[in-house]
Amino acid sequence: MSNQRQASSASQVPHLSPAELSYLYTSLSLPKTPIRPDGRSPTQFRPLTAETNILPGTNGSARIGFADGTQAIVGVKAEVEKTILSNETLASERGAGPEPTDQEGSTTAAVGGHGSWVQMSIEIPGFRDDDALPVFLSEMMRESLVGAVGTDENSDMTGGLKGRLVINKRWHWRLYIDVLLLSQPLAYPLPLLSLTTHLALLSTKLPKLKSQGEEDPFFDDDWAVAEYLYPRSSPSTGAKISSSSSRPSFVRPPVTLLVISVGENIIFDPNREEIAVADAVLAISITRDTQAGHLRLLSIRTVDPPSRLTQPGVPNSENVNMLGAVAPTDDIAVLNPVTGEEEVPGVWRPRRGGAKRSVISEMVKTVLKKGGVGEEVLEGLEGVEVS
Amino acid sequence: MMADRRRVNGPPSGTRPAVFTADLQLGASATDRAQRQRQPSELRKIFLKTGLIPTASGSSYLEFEPSASLAAARANPKSLIPPSSALKLACTVHGPKPLPRSAAFSPNIVLTTHVKYAPFAARQRKGHIRDSGERDLGVHLETALRGAIIAERWPKSGLDITVTILEAEDDRWWGSAPDSHDASWGMMNVLAGCITAASAAIADAHIDCLDLIAGGVAALVADESGNSAAGTTKLMLDTDPAEHRSILSACVVGYMPARDEITELWLKGDSSKASLEEGDDRSGHDALIDGAVDAARGAHTVLAEAVRESLLRIVGQS
Repeated sequence: MSNQRQASSASQVPHLSPAELSYLYTSLSLPKTPIRPDGRSPTQFRPLTAETNILPGTNGSARIGFADGTQAIVGVKAEVEKTILSNETLASERGAGPEPTDQEGSTTAAVGGHGSWVQMSIEIPGFRDDDALPVFLSEMMRESLVGAVGTDENSDMTGGLKGRLVINKRWHWRLYIDVLLLSQPLAYPLPLLSLTTHLALLSTKLPKLKSQGEEDPFFDDDWAVAEYLYPRSSPSTGAKISSSSSRPSFVRPPVTLLVISVGENIIFDPNREEIAVADAVLAISITRDTQAGHLRLLSIRTVDPPSRLTQPGVPNSENVNMLGAVAPTDDIAVLNPVTGEEEVPGVWRPRRGGAKRSVISEMVKTVLKKGGVGEEVLEGLEGVEVS
Repeated sequence: MMADRRRVNGPPSGTRPAVFTADLQLGASATDRAQRQRQPSELRKIFLKTGLIPTASGSSYLEFEPSASLAAARANPKSLIPPSSALKLACTVHGPKPLPRSAAFSPNIVLTTHVKYAPFAARQRKGHIRDSGERDLGVHLETALRGAIIAERWPKSGLDITVTILEAEDDRWWGSAPDSHDASWGMMNVLAGCITAASAAIADAHIDCLDLIAGGVAALVADESGNSAAGTTKLMLDTDPAEHRSILSACVVGYMPARDEITELWLKGDSSKASLEEGDDRSGHDALIDGAVDAARGAHTVLAEAVRESLLRIVGQS
């Protein structure tokens, strides 16, 4: 119970000894060349296997498995629902009463979607639905999903995902995104869940609309002509959507990346041991909406670093058992320039305080810069064949 | 089907009140929308007082100054609906207290945060069970405070922090329909208030912290004064969402001025397209974070004064 309570927005309290933590921290904070326990480079992700459209009963689905055995499945289901009109839209309708069909396109665009049309639920073994971790993760992913607003005027995605869900003034799609973590959360599950959700949304198809304008929606029952929720632009599927939108759209679902800082180093996709010694943990959501590859930042959230919950190590000079065995000059506390705390080298101290502004800004820059990690991840996901 | 022929029943689903065109032209016009009277970098006044709840080991009450339009509407009401709302919240701290016997050993203090809107706090009634937004706020608050509290001084103890929101900020002006830039912007102001109030309450409970931690909000707001389609975006500190037509992006921080460190950062919305003023070549998110930190510095002065007052009161009592 108490372990559960301490496992707040971060994953569980790490079960590592102060000596192990200190060893990890030292090797990860080596200037310029951090040594990660699994030999990856700072920006390298864990190897993964991915497949899409595995659940026939959903509009879109995906599965991703990491090499360490953690797996997640995401299913996306869509339902048609009646829109509750607000007084203002009713009023504007009345004002434009005589010719309701004069500007079909602009009126549908003007009616923006609503954030509550996207529902997300995350199930993690060992956690209740209302525990902090699932709630925090689902709000984090839903917020970036709903917050993405397209700037591409001519595509279907002008209003972002919310705009895409509008059928007409009276009807809309409701999207249920159900995320299931199949294994125990060995590491902080955010990267896994975010990548799987991204793939599932990419593979999501909605039936083709046959009715027009403000009629009650009526759909083509041929599943083969169904349209992608996020219009695809790759050559294999480009022909299909060319009829529906004037030009291919490059809007993609957002991806949330987990970034940690250890010492002066910035490390991506940390595993369980690495996140246990992080000075600061950020979850950064990005997306891309133009072909030019310009990345857009959608949200940043700090995640509570689990290093604050760890047990401190005791330097020899303060250890009663070592009394007299060490010279008092053996371990002298030095000022860690990054955290601003006095600590004895090689002796673990739980982190205190927060992150410097320069560190946060540097972390965001590493994600967003041209040819940076964000582009690399989105390109990698583009390579997954969506059948 | 069993139709009830003896009674005239209402429609099975709800109805909505009739809206007359005459009212619409009078009421829901753009002129009625609350306008920001403050300078972009001017904060609302904050009322913060500690020690109002005697049964708790530490407590505080925080209130934001009502906007000019709300104050005018209260003095001279034209409509039953207030144009905007101002934040009011109470925070209690219980602890440090021993953990239950069954709990596992913890070398640090076990922090529990609980944020709850009163059912009457927002325009839409809130239920008695916390919804996902309130739980999310609780996690944010916990992240902010955990960085400030020196946790290893209380092994095997627990600290419960409860925030009750009596009046919440609106997410947008009540009359405008949710648009594509719509999000729960009011929650960010609430979080900033929660952080500041909780910090005062923790200080009132005499729990060691690295620094008094203050919350601040900044937002990039699309300016609608000109008719130009491009529109300039402006960085505003301490935004009241009811006063702006569209907020592009907003950021809230929990900030410790003495260490110049951020323990909690929550930024949402798209800030990349924002064109700031001439000569300002910061990217949108950097400008937002800096703005929020400035707002937090402002709140910190109020916080420090409130904590000093509470100390003086204790000294006066003994």
